[in-house]
Amino acid sequence: MTTDTQNLLDVCTEATDLKIKIIGVGGAGTNAVDELKIDVPGDVGLAAVNTDAKALLNSSIAEKLIIGHTVTRGLGAGGQVDVGRKAVESDREAIEKLIAEMDLIILVVGLGGGTGSAAAPFIAEMAAKTESLVLVFATLPFNFEGARQSIAEESLGELRKRVHGLISLPNDMLLQEGEEGLSALNAFSVANRWIGRGVNSLCTMLLKTGLINQDFNSLRSVFQNRGGKTIFSTGSGSGSDYVKDALGELFLCPLFHLGDQPAIFDRILVNVIGGADLGIAKVNEIMSQVAKRFDSREDIVFGVVIDENRNESLEICILAKAGMEQSPVSKSDKKVETTEPKRIDEGLGLESEIAQDDKVPHPVHKSKLSKKAAAAANQGEFDFTSLEAQRGYFLKTVRNLYKNEDLDVPTYFRRGIKIKIKPS
Amino acid sequence: MSESKIVAAVEIGTTKVAVLIGEIVGDSELNIIGHSICSSKGVKKGVITDLNAVSDCVHATIMTAEKKSRRRINEVYLSLTGNHIEGKFNIGMANVSSSDKVVQQIDMDKAKEDATGIHLPEDRVYIHYIRNSFSLDGHLVEQPISRKGERVQVGYWSVNGDKAIVEDYLRIINGIGIHLSDMIISSIASGAVLLEDADKEAGALVVDIGGGTTDWVLYRNGFIVRTGVVPVGGDHITNDLSSGLRIHRKSAEAIKIKNGRAYCRSEDRNEGVWLFGDRGIGDCEFPMAAITKVIEARVTEIFQIIKESLEEAKLFSAAEIVTGVILTGGTSRLEGIDQVAGKVFGLEARRAEIQLGIDPDLRKPEYSTALGLLHYALTGQDEKYPSVKPAGFFRRVMSILNFD
Repeated sequence: MTTDTQNLLDVCTEATDLKIKIIGVGGAGTNAVDELKIDVPGDVGLAAVNTDAKALLNSSIAEKLIIGHTVTRGLGAGGQVDVGRKAVESDREAIEKLIAEMDLIILVVGLGGGTGSAAAPFIAEMAAKTESLVLVFATLPFNFEGARQSIAEESLGELRKRVHGLISLPNDMLLQEGEEGLSALNAFSVANRWIGRGVNSLCTMLLKTGLINQDFNSLRSVFQNRGGKTIFSTGSGSGSDYVKDALGELFLCPLFHLGDQPAIFDRILVNVIGGADLGIAKVNEIMSQVAKRFDSREDIVFGVVIDENRNESLEICILAKAGMEQSPVSKSDKKVETTEPKRIDEGLGLESEIAQDDKVPHPVHKSKLSKKAAAAANQGEFDFTSLEAQRGYFLKTVRNLYKNEDLDVPTYFRRGIKIKIKPS
Repeated sequence: MSESKIVAAVEIGTTKVAVLIGEIVGDSELNIIGHSICSSKGVKKGVITDLNAVSDCVHATIMTAEKKSRRRINEVYLSLTGNHIEGKFNIGMANVSSSDKVVQQIDMDKAKEDATGIHLPEDRVYIHYIRNSFSLDGHLVEQPISRKGERVQVGYWSVNGDKAIVEDYLRIINGIGIHLSDMIISSIASGAVLLEDADKEAGALVVDIGGGTTDWVLYRNGFIVRTGVVPVGGDHITNDLSSGLRIHRKSAEAIKIKNGRAYCRSEDRNEGVWLFGDRGIGDCEFPMAAITKVIEARVTEIFQIIKESLEEAKLFSAAEIVTGVILTGGTSRLEGIDQVAGKVFGLEARRAEIQLGIDPDLRKPEYSTALGLLHYALTGQDEKYPSVKPAGFFRRVMSILNFD
């Protein structure tokens, strides 16, 4: 859509300047980053942080950091968070160096173990002291893993306060994705695939010039504040009906279904990667479908990137940020104004909009990106776990505990009953 | 001239607020002279989440019903539900005091005091004391007074609730300036109207599955021996479907009503169900099995939880629940739910049928609690009725709230 050459140039210059680092933390995180295939030009650094030297050696990632050698002698944390914590604390300087001078840091971690659960929040805390935007992809252990689950929940709570965007991928949910009868191991590869698609979509959006271009400022505008809740969804389609297929997959993505409260999203970033055959009519269709799905009540930031190598093939990725929860059950409700429809933003601009949301005390500065000041991390804890997310409609109500299970979470989900939603 | 009193039964449910207005003539005749229903706002799982919204909704519904009946309401009977309601079974004991060892009222009072005088924590309040059978020297007796014996015992199922929540309900009714005569937990109200005395004698489990809660009551030998609330209802089925099929809540609700079944059959795998049926963008086909598996898991779990509570209380024995399981409440409309209940409990299970000579509109399972409240208004004062109100309950709560 951009015809203004000067504008295009600006975009390009900025794109090449952008420094992105994707850091795998712990064993599972390193594996996921190992499997990443970033097919965009530019400065995307891959790094791995682990206590287990042997596992790191097997990785093809360029930048490797063994932490806590003095603590574990390179033998891993053995699932113990204390060991992981000591390890990461002993290598503070190295981590500082690892994350220095980045625009965007993406942490990839599998929570529930010793290294990842301890190191990820620690790295996030250090990253919070820099000016970089920090996003996290975190897989969560299965419900039946008990102790690992509680470790993961605690770590998740800490992470949430410190990063701009946190995408959690509960293994229970991922298991629903695989074919019937497949093992739990399958969930890991599903997780890695999704992380891969999410990261790739982000990098493509940031580093390639788009038909409807979204740059780093757009991403910033979605993730202005730390804390809160992030919704991530991805869908792809190919063949004659590729728009419909991609939209279908996008809306069916289980990560998208963390309940039923789209009305509370502050901002939604939609990125579409398609081939040259993706005309404006199709883009319009996608936009209107997405807007319809979100009831058009939110700010949708829309980006479209054309990848010449694609033909009849489409990838859509959604990142949405929901604000911090108000105190959950308050007797005297002050929600009088919420019935008023929110302002609808076109979300089509070439540059990012400035948030006018009254919840945001410090709007992003257009020219220079928001500073730490914008992200006062004193917003209270958001009680959010993998299961919590599944409570959907009941999210804001008191937990429904019965024999250590939350009855608000769907029964099929807790019992691991697989629901096949595609007709055979 | 026979006295007539206008009473309103108010049920503040998760899905709807229902108001029935009854005219009590004398002490045995009840005419339903008005009713009104409105979708509930501000209630989840039977718990008020938005007091103002609930208040407005209840007031509007009561006003409408009052207008329809063209009579002023004298008093209100309100049903209570929610996870906060708990109960405890206590046995009270008293040694017969008179020298001739003939049981007198004073001994009975002592035994009752022994069973019901147990103090609750500050934040709890008694809602019902439900008397169970008497025993005299270890033998069950209908009425020990005037009989000879050493020791009388009496069991009480005492129901208590969270004080703050109960007060919220009081506030709502008092806010319209109508006298709140009594609060009755939903399960007891439903049970009162659905069961004949003979059913209660034979033993029956009434399960009222509403939108946000499942309220149940077990009768044995004519007594209410246990009540319970499972904070799970039809809303959960909708939420599960919304999550499982990844569709909007509204679509999930529509699918539940249109295609829902409480159990999964093997044929369901090959049967397709369309979300909207217009085959447009956004419409998609689900295997029926996806729908029924989600519902089956949930419905089975609800019944299992009830069964577990009964088993833990050592009250679950098929031989003493001869009438079987009676299902009511809006969710009892779900196809096949009686079969699932039958399977889980291993008892005969059926949907309740309201036999009273009333408007067919009011015979729906959704109304059984409200009808039960009216039934209670008519018979509740009866001495023989096994539910006794704690003395001064309302006065005590009212004084906390500075109501007169």
